[in-house]
Parts: sequence; C-alpha cells; structure tokens
Amino acid sequence: MLYQHAAPASVPREGRRASRRCGFIYHLGHRLKAKSALDKRPRNEGLNALTWNYPTTGENEEPQIEAVLTEINGYTTSDGQLVENYKKLKADGSTACGCWIYSGVFPREHENRARKREPQGLYGHGWGFAWPSDRRILYNRASARPDGTPWSEKKKLVWWDESRGEWTGLDTPDFTVTKRPDYQPPQDAKGDEALAGDKPFIMHPDGFGWIWVTSGLKDGPLPAHYEPLESPVRNLLYPRQQTDPAASRKERPDNPYAASPDARFPFVLSTYRLTEHHTAGGMSRQLPKLAELQPELFCELSPELAASRRVANGDWVKISTPRSAIVVRALVTGRMRPISLNGKVVHQVGLPYHWGYRGKSKGDVVNDLLAISEEPNVRIMETKALVCNVDPCSPPAKALHSAGGKP
Amino acid sequence: MSTTAFLTDSTLCIGCKACEVACKEWNQIPDDGLMWSGKSYDNTVALGASTWRHVKFVENTPIPGLGGNSPQSAAWSFSSDVCKHCEEAGCLEACPTGAIVRTEFGGVFIQPDVCNGCAYCVVACPFGVVDRNERDGRAFKCTFCYDRQHAALEPACAKACPTKSIQFGELESLRRAAHQRLNELEARGVQDAHLYDPRESSVKGTHSIFIVRGDPAVYNLPSAPDVPTVHLRRGWTAAAVAAGMLLTGTALAFLGGQR
Repeated sequence: MLYQHAAPASVPREGRRASRRCGFIYHLGHRLKAKSALDKRPRNEGLNALTWNYPTTGENEEPQIEAVLTEINGYTTSDGQLVENYKKLKADGSTACGCWIYSGVFPREHENRARKREPQGLYGHGWGFAWPSDRRILYNRASARPDGTPWSEKKKLVWWDESRGEWTGLDTPDFTVTKRPDYQPPQDAKGDEALAGDKPFIMHPDGFGWIWVTSGLKDGPLPAHYEPLESPVRNLLYPRQQTDPAASRKERPDNPYAASPDARFPFVLSTYRLTEHHTAGGMSRQLPKLAELQPELFCELSPELAASRRVANGDWVKISTPRSAIVVRALVTGRMRPISLNGKVVHQVGLPYHWGYRGKSKGDVVNDLLAISEEPNVRIMETKALVCNVDPCSPPAKALHSAGGKP
Repeated sequence: MSTTAFLTDSTLCIGCKACEVACKEWNQIPDDGLMWSGKSYDNTVALGASTWRHVKFVENTPIPGLGGNSPQSAAWSFSSDVCKHCEEAGCLEACPTGAIVRTEFGGVFIQPDVCNGCAYCVVACPFGVVDRNERDGRAFKCTFCYDRQHAALEPACAKACPTKSIQFGELESLRRAAHQRLNELEARGVQDAHLYDPRESSVKGTHSIFIVRGDPAVYNLPSAPDVPTVHLRRGWTAAAVAAGMLLTGTALAFLGGQR
C-alpha cells in the first residue's frame, strides 16, 4: 500500500527543518553530495553523478512530493508526461520509472492516488494505492474457475465478462484484462503472452501456483514436516529425519542444544509480542503511557503446569534452556493449555520478548534463551519453538520493592 | 441542544488499549506507575484519577483438564469502560462546591479549579468512576472531552478506536444503532448480547451505553445502579423517627423522675 501521510505541523525551532521524512532524505542527500563533490575519488562517482534536483517550497525548503512521485510513477523522457501505469513503460529509453510496481500511483496531473481517502466497495479501493495497479488481492484470477466464472458467489473477486470481452469484478484484475479464459498461447509466444487464459499465477513462468518448487527453495522441492531443532517429540511423519537437514545448527560450547526429547527441558517455549510494545521495547518501554500498560516481563503458564510446579499467579519463576536462564513473573491463565501429542501431554510456556536492561520498564532478556540457528531459506533462528524448564524461584533482589503489584 | 453519548460495543473490542492511551495523551494525564497486576493483560486495573478509559480483560477460562486439542475455544473478552455521564448523577448531586456541572452536551464535568477535594462525589458515584488524585486530593474523571466537543471533534478515545468499538454520536441515534447491531448479532447466532442502558434505574439513563455479552456485572456494570439521593427520604424519615423516639424517651424519663 502506498499511503501518503498528511504533513505534520511544522516545527518552529531553528535547525529542525527536516521534520518530514521526505524532506529529511532530500536535505541529507544534498549534504552528502556537497561532501562528495570535494572528494573526486572513484568511490564517490556514483554520488557525484546523481541528479538530486527536486523543486522545493516554503521556508523549510520541503521538496515537492509530486516531483518525487513523478519519478517513482514513471514519465516519458522526451516531454516529461506522466505514464498511466506500468503497461505504458517501454524498454527503449522513451520512458523512465523509479519502480515498476508503483507505476500508476500518479497516473495524471492532480491525481495522487497515495493521498486518496475515499474507500469504496468491499476491498477499499480509493483508500491509498495498493501495488501493482491498485490490486487488493494478488493472483485474484484464481478466484474464478478456468472458464472465468466465480468458484464461489460469496467470495468472488473477478470474473470474465463475455459481452464486454474483458475481466471485471470487485477487485482490479491481476491478469491481462482482455485475455480470454480459453486463450491458448502460440508456440513461440514470450512473456505474458505465453501464459494461457486459465493460468492465474502470472509471476511464475508456467502460470501455476506451486507445491513442487524446482528452484529457489533450499529444502524443496516439496513441503515437508520437520520438528524444530529442539522438540519434546520425535518426528512422526519422517521417523528417520527429525529436523530440516538443510538447517544450520551453529552448534558450539556456548550454543548448545537440548536433545529431542530431553528430560531436563520438558516444556515447549514460544516467544511473541504484546500489542503495547514494539519489538525489543527500545522505544515503547521509554514511553510511560505504553510502559504502564505492560510494565514487567512475565511468562504465561497453564493452570495445570503451574500446579505441577507449585507456582501461583504472580510468583517468580526461573525459565531455563541449555543456553541460559531468566527470572520472570508467572501469569497463570486458562488461555494457555496443555496439548496432547501422540498420547503425550506437552505443556507450553509463553514469553513476550519486549524487555531489556534499560528504559523505564526493565526485565530479563528473553532472546538469551534462544539457540543461534539458521533456517535454510530466510536464515532466521527458531524463536517460536524451542524447549525449556520452569522452576519456582525467589524474586531477584532488584525487584523486591515492586513485588506485589497494585493495591 | 444535542445530547451526545458513547456506545461501547464490547463485541468489537480487541483489547488494544488505544482508547486508554489516546485519552491520556489528549488530556495530558500522567501514567499510573509501572505496576504489574497479574490480572490477565490488564495493568491499569480500574478507572481512576489518572485512567479515564479502562479496558477490562475477561478470561472465559475453558473447562479445566481440556487440553489444547479440545475444539472448545477459550474466549477472551474485552470491554472499554468509561464514566457513564448519568442523567441523575450521584457525583453532581453530592458536590457541595458546585465544581461538578452538567455540560451543554449532556455530560457531567468536574471543574478542577473549583473542586476542593472533599471526595463526596467519590462515594456518591454508583459506578465507582470518580477518584481522587493522590497528589493534591482533587477528584478527576472522564471530561467527555468537553474541549474537543466544543471544537466539534469526537472524544479522543472514539477517534482512536480502530474497530469502532467506541462510537460517539447523538444518544438516540446510537440507541438505534445499538439495536440494529444486536439484531445483526442475533442473526449470526450470538444469543447472549444485550444493551446496557440503565434507563429504568434511579440514574434515569446514561450517556455511555454498552453492548455486552452475558452478565454486565462482569464488565463493572451494575444491574441496578442507584443514585444515592434516592435513599434521602428513607434516611431522613428514619432519622426523624429515631429523633422522635429519643425525645419521647427522654421526656418520659424526666416525667418519671418527678413522681
């Protein structure tokens, strides 16, 4: 979604002219270019050759947003006319475009669609601009049968209108509008023309959605079920392959793993976010009106698990993994429930991860519990599924004064 | 004269607390302090001198022993509470200084520069809304965003609510909207939703009405809120009778002594 925010009130103080994001980047660009102009080394050639000449308005010299948007949207190089959408872009140099998927956000003078605030219909067309071409649901051709009629009357998005000879519907078709459902490509067709009229996945060379993925995925070609690197159960689907063979465990003495299963760490641990905080809380824990809403790190335990470990709501508990241990308050809630896996009862422990050792609201660092590993495709560690142990413990000395909560 | 109101539809509330934060930001109220309550995700706990909107978290705990494989879902309900702005307001009637007034929008407003901190309003509120500021002892509560309404703006909480759980508008049209919503919910199979609008009680109706499911008392909404002054006649009668009896007893004692 391209969505242009209304400009905030200007800041009266001297030296704060770059109060708006676009203005900030524009003026930063000018400062960097001024520096690089004094230094003719080859590494500065790119910056020195960069055209950075947007017209500005007002005493704060804010760049004209329409000038920036013109470059993003695309224009004809001969006379600077805006192009209507990405289909009007040419590969011969007669048009220029900053980013093809955004083309169409500024199709003509005085029609900045990123500023539109008039939502209409089920999918809110007219509120901002969804790339590409204001399509609200990608691959929406798949909502219709191969013959072009909707699969479901209730969930229909686009369909083929035989009388007008084009695709129409509740959303902007994510498909060549005039391509008939029964279109068959000629033998030597290329690009979009090589895709038949019943092939909705237009970004794939064969137009199909893929379960069998022959390139790109490091652990393809078929989806498979692997257990996390630490799991309380064995892989029932592939008994001889417990975990993703392509995952990197990065195992070292300071990055050890529990066995699967491991009697020392019988519970599943998952980390997640709260509405009130942002990522590790670096910003939100500094704001008193957010920090008061979630003022302290806690773990969530089911009543069953809490009873088995003799933990009451509000008690302090130690959560440990093979890497580390942290001390947190226990929030005992029926929302957390043990699950039964192949006849074995497995308890879950939930931990929001927004705390650290600085700020108005402080707490132990949950990420210390995690193993450093890499999933093969996106190379992210397993933060949502690992194992842990929970033990009651005494409150940390620094927390004694605040224990007890509100009267 | 328009009489404005809140319709808080708890069936739409997602518990984001944006109303609490927007209220505090607009009205420049301080935080309550960083104190973890252990009560679900609710750490502001109740309406108070520095919390004029409060989101209640109700955990409808499933039957114990049923595990996560059970199809029975554990519903988590939320509802944003606020001053009710009663038609017959206990706080207004109790205030001896005239600090509490009825505004042209139908709301009940405490003038902080007139309030002397006597706290009669605190005990007179049938909903437990009014609270004294610990610092200087004056009473505070929701102003119904009197300043914003003057500028033809909706209150900050309603403006910030991302799901339209908090709606602001003319009281009668909100009542109609509420009944339409209840019909909609019933058509969808929600049988236990109803409108909390205590017109039959001695507060004679409020400018904050609520759609809740189940027992409204769970959401801090008493089924029969009473403005304390309805007990005045009985109270004075009892006092008069007691005084009369004491007087008679005393008189009798003196008469007996003369014998």
